[in-house]
Amino acid sequence: MGTNFFINDNQDVLIEILKRLDGRSLGVAACVCKLWCGIARNDSLWEHLCFRHVSQPQEGVRTVVLALGGYRRLYMVCVRPVLNRLRKWRPIGMESDSEIVRRVYWTRHEVELSLSLFCVDYYERVLLGGGGGGGGGGGGGRHGGDGARTTSLMFLCKAVNV
Amino acid sequence: MKRYRDREKSLTQGNSSGKAKIWEQHEEEEEKDAGMDELLAVLGYKVKSSDMAEVANKLEQLEMAMGTTMEDGITHLSTDTVHKNPSDLSGWVQSMLSELNNTTNFDENGLVESNKQNRTTIISDDDLRAIPGGAVFNKLNEPDLLSSESGSSNKRLRSSPIIDSARPVVLVDSQETGVRLVHTLMACAEAVQQENFNLADALVRHIGILAVSQSGAMRKVATYFAEALARRIYKIYPQDNSIESSYTDVLQMHFYETCPYLKFAHFTANQAILEAFTNCNKVHVVDFSLKQGMQWPALIQALALRPGGPPSFRLTGIGPPQPNNTDALQQVGWKLAQLAETIGVEFEFRGFVTNSLADLDCSILDIRETEAVAVNSVFELHRLLSRPRMIENVLNIIKQMNPKIVTIVEQEANHNAVVFLDRFNEALHYYSTMFDSLESSLTQPVNNQDLVMSEVYLGRQICNVVACEGADRVERHETLSQWRVRMNSSGFDPVHLGSNAFKQASMLLALFAGGDGYRVEENDGCLMLGWHTRPLIATSAWQLTAARGEL
Repeated sequence: MGTNFFINDNQDVLIEILKRLDGRSLGVAACVCKLWCGIARNDSLWEHLCFRHVSQPQEGVRTVVLALGGYRRLYMVCVRPVLNRLRKWRPIGMESDSEIVRRVYWTRHEVELSLSLFCVDYYERVLLGGGGGGGGGGGGGRHGGDGARTTSLMFLCKAVNV
Repeated sequence: MKRYRDREKSLTQGNSSGKAKIWEQHEEEEEKDAGMDELLAVLGYKVKSSDMAEVANKLEQLEMAMGTTMEDGITHLSTDTVHKNPSDLSGWVQSMLSELNNTTNFDENGLVESNKQNRTTIISDDDLRAIPGGAVFNKLNEPDLLSSESGSSNKRLRSSPIIDSARPVVLVDSQETGVRLVHTLMACAEAVQQENFNLADALVRHIGILAVSQSGAMRKVATYFAEALARRIYKIYPQDNSIESSYTDVLQMHFYETCPYLKFAHFTANQAILEAFTNCNKVHVVDFSLKQGMQWPALIQALALRPGGPPSFRLTGIGPPQPNNTDALQQVGWKLAQLAETIGVEFEFRGFVTNSLADLDCSILDIRETEAVAVNSVFELHRLLSRPRMIENVLNIIKQMNPKIVTIVEQEANHNAVVFLDRFNEALHYYSTMFDSLESSLTQPVNNQDLVMSEVYLGRQICNVVACEGADRVERHETLSQWRVRMNSSGFDPVHLGSNAFKQASMLLALFAGGDGYRVEENDGCLMLGWHTRPLIATSAWQLTAARGEL
């Protein structure tokens, strides 16, 4: 093969690769360059991340999630903390810690709970922020500035926002 | 010191009394006696509960005296002394006091002289000269004892700021002080119960001093209870409920954010409502406690995602009038409508402003024929117990609505006993546990303001339980068993909250750092959330007795 392969020239391959990453890696990928940032912020990637191991994602979930702020926000705000906390809580014979984020086994209850909390988060933003502090701030908005107002889910967040 | 022990042996027999955590505990068999203070009995001291107050006072004085002489090298007393005759601590304390009086030149100690003369002039404290009759500290003369004690303790307490400015009162062990604090609180409540307001006054001030030596939850609880007691003693009642309602809403929001109790309440109630509404196309929820409407987004979302699509959802919110006539209910309704529209659920809202739930009329609510009704009350029903017949009226109104399900969330405690002292003790335990759980939530990056506001929220409840009476006392919490009896006799049958609710609640709690302390319990179909072993709130669901198979 004489030609060089630049990943940036093959975005579909890039997307396929990014699809298989865990959340943190996806966040890191978003810091590489503008192109990667644009791709990594694509909500469908995060949707895939959130629900790829759920046996049957319910119909209508996407409409709701997109309306409430998108999958990336869902992941940052609810899914990741829920899974992290519950991973420690549930005494299931899990693989080693490094596997945790990759093998995301959702139960129906966890899905429901995450969605409910996400909805509460949205409502608080609407209620307290008057519609401000929206999706643009993403997960980051919650850690500082006006995002700090939506505090009912503060108990969930602790980690660094990539 | 040896001379103290010698003194002991020559003591005359006093009352059986003793309360001294300061001293090393003498190992004796435990004695549980109905008339004795149990906590101290465990330590080997026999104290009649009725004597507690006096003994407490005596020991405070001793400690004050000791505190001032601490630096003179009698600290060893606190650790070295073995108390040979614990049943006569009173007399021994007397000897200590007189001993200290002789060894120090501190004028203060003249106060607590047993056989000495009455009034001693205290440097720069003019108030004391105004005390009529002096402070004869004579334990042999019972009728005088209380008044003289309160006099002496008043003196002592007034002079304690002087001590404080020179040297802080050295309290030997904060754990001991903690126990003493609790005992003083109870003694004060008992004094109030017996309408001995002088003694109560003295004790309440002392609580303030003791509370400062504590830290964390104990200190806050003690402070709130002391304030409430003071209000009761001085008859300064919190006024003007109307202004308070919007403030209470704000406080409750902070409480919502700091700890899982309200979230638990909302999630479990929502689950019950959701299950009751399966296969219904038109649903109507009547919420007795709309506040900021934090319960409903989750339900709306769950309805949106239920198999078969969302029903059309009607919400009737009921709330108190706002001070500046702002229509808070409508604002909340509008925001919920926004949410519902975003998610794609047909939504209708109506708000009713009323001072009391009993003023509601079923016809106003416009219950439509084809809809399934749910009634939801979070921490509201207990207010109706403040006037006779109100709760029965409201339950009748609920029945007229023909609801599919009635969800009730209430505090799990009996703060409605007729006897003040019982109420006080119950409340003390309950709120101590509550504050403890709030403290533990500090392990997360919780906004400090939220924590403080949550505590204020609880503090107001404390104030109401302790200081108010009659129609003003609205925080009339009752236990789940009491509510069960009431609901059963009013024509409601229990609906079991299923395993879904339990699982969801357990997961929710696991998410809270400090989640180790929270416990979800299932109690005969109802769910209770508690802190360690103490259940704090309970969710229950009810349906009309005749309603099985209907709709």
